[in-house]
Amino acid sequence: MKIRHAALAACLLGVVLTACGSGESGDSGPVKLTFQSLSDQPGAIEQTKKTVDEWNRTHPDTQVEIVQAGWDGVYDKLITQFNAGSAPDVIHYEAAGIVPFAKDGYVADLTPYLPEAKRADVTKGVLDSVTVDGQVIAYPTEVQSYVVFANKALLQQAGVTIPTGPTMTWDQLREIAKATTKDGKFGLGWGLSSPTASFVAMAPAFGGKYFEGTGDAMSVSIGEGEMALPQLVNAMAYEDKSILPVTLTQSGTKALAPFYGGQVAMTIQGSYQAANIAKDAPQGFDWAVLPPLAGPAGPAQASSAQTLSVNKDSAHVEQAAAFIDFFTSTENLAAINEADGLIPPTNSAREALAAKVGTKNGWDVILSSGQHLTSAPYVFADKYAQWKDTVATPAYQQFLAQKIDAAGLASQLRDGWQNISR
Amino acid sequence: MRALVRPAQYLALALYILFLGFPLLWLISASVKSSGELNSLTVSLLPEQWHWQNYSEALDRQGLVRSAGNSLGVALASTALVILIALPASYVLARLKGKVRLAGIGWILVSQVFPVVLIILPLFLILRTLGLTDSLVGLTLVHTTYMLPFALWMLQGYVAAIPVELEEAGAMDGATRLRVLRTIVFPLLAPGVVATAMFSFVSSWNEFFFALVLLQSPENYTLPITLNMFIGGEGKVSLGPLAAGAVLAAIPSIVFFTLLRRRLTGGLMAGAVKG
Repeated sequence: MKIRHAALAACLLGVVLTACGSGESGDSGPVKLTFQSLSDQPGAIEQTKKTVDEWNRTHPDTQVEIVQAGWDGVYDKLITQFNAGSAPDVIHYEAAGIVPFAKDGYVADLTPYLPEAKRADVTKGVLDSVTVDGQVIAYPTEVQSYVVFANKALLQQAGVTIPTGPTMTWDQLREIAKATTKDGKFGLGWGLSSPTASFVAMAPAFGGKYFEGTGDAMSVSIGEGEMALPQLVNAMAYEDKSILPVTLTQSGTKALAPFYGGQVAMTIQGSYQAANIAKDAPQGFDWAVLPPLAGPAGPAQASSAQTLSVNKDSAHVEQAAAFIDFFTSTENLAAINEADGLIPPTNSAREALAAKVGTKNGWDVILSSGQHLTSAPYVFADKYAQWKDTVATPAYQQFLAQKIDAAGLASQLRDGWQNISR
Repeated sequence: MRALVRPAQYLALALYILFLGFPLLWLISASVKSSGELNSLTVSLLPEQWHWQNYSEALDRQGLVRSAGNSLGVALASTALVILIALPASYVLARLKGKVRLAGIGWILVSQVFPVVLIILPLFLILRTLGLTDSLVGLTLVHTTYMLPFALWMLQGYVAAIPVELEEAGAMDGATRLRVLRTIVFPLLAPGVVATAMFSFVSSWNEFFFALVLLQSPENYTLPITLNMFIGGEGKVSLGPLAAGAVLAAIPSIVFFTLLRRRLTGGLMAGAVKG
């Protein structure tokens, strides 16, 4: 994939100068904005349409048209659109994806259009992840955290008191997993076929950052904080034998099957899976979301938010920013996150959603986990995607299969970054 | 012992067909399972409950029928254009001697070297100048351009396999050049044309990347783009509706192959007898 991107970048150098077309008609009449949306769930698609319809009804001078696109291949689509001068006015993407475009100067600075009250409303860590060189380059719309889903019956059968309270510790999780591992059942199922995203996101609870510095000077840091979680998983899998081994090689979604089948007592998943569990779990399956996990450094998790940005070449940056401001109002954010099963990045929208959904499907715990989301240094590491795919994921897989030890893992993660950063 | 040979052959054939068809059977099975069953530990080919809603969801949700119509139009048009251009060109390429032929062959080979990601931006810019981005006509032209070299390569091989002596014999009997082509060359070339058409149709029907980048409006999306939208961020996949959509998407290809299959085998036999 990276080779393709490099090839495309090389090609762009030769033709980018010819890409400067006018494209603007200068017609009278209402301003027309295109909004490339990546919403993928039926409810979210419907909610997006509702919000846009409401905007169009109340803003006759600025009409927004939704261009529905898919997540897969959107990077290639955007890079071509940006370079050919035909990118949509409003762009839906994730922070980790849009930051490189912002660094390359394709995305407008939205700081002047971001009211102070709104800035204060956004979870600080999430706002940091969309701030490049002091400029806010996107409004966050949805975030996810990793949470523990538990089969309440299996926990009760094992005599475990189901944790409550604002957080639970990783040590508690380990103890519960050990206690519920019996009679052919395992305490935990964790789909770790692509473990990097989970490990990097959950490292802040152990004081891990993975990346330090800025721009080209960004370096990878593999210390105790970064190694703690992989080592804990390794210990649970091979010392405690409390993780169902097959799940270590499965995707997150695949690891739900043994959870539904009563083969594992708990599973760690993206918070959005709550909606799927509510829909797909067998009838009578009694489940709960356990409190957010906390490590020695607290319950923090890093998250790459879904975002809305404005194309810098748009002839109507101000109107596009106004539309985004409308789209990210408390009411609209609560509605879109409810439809997508995700967490609003603003305090007010989380409160509004919490008031609406209450404790149903673990929403209360999931929403409370949103306040612990912190900035994600990997969002600003230009080579993160390449490092993740070619270095980190294979190294973690070898480690979880006990092909290499902790020292070998650390050195692969470190040396791999240095190799691709040369 | 001899009596067992035939049943054993049939058994082997049946197993082979089952092996080849299993992914399709599994796809059909997945298309009528609920998401709960698709995510359960119990694995079965037959669903516990037939969940036809996947089909209605696939059809309702993403404008699948419209996309199928777009794909069909683009695939048929680009296949026709490819054959129309490649047929005479391949004859010239196969029969011509000298540097022009070598240059032609070289161009075909070189054109296959570039990855699509390298040519998409220049293509995008050209089509934008022509006002053909986000247009099915533009996509048809791109598919034609992209498939033409391989189609030429395929067809010129078929032409080269026809003995030139047959054409000479026709000429000796007083047939004009056009008549030789019409009555001798083209009938023998029919299986090659059919095979090339099949290749072109399937290539265009399945093509994803050009369509992804060139098409902007959902009403212009082709089937691969629409099916891709069943796959969301964070690994979310609407598996049941996606499988249902994939089953529906396979139907036009199967119909096209069924229609052309007779021509393919008929042509092959004709070639065998005359050759």
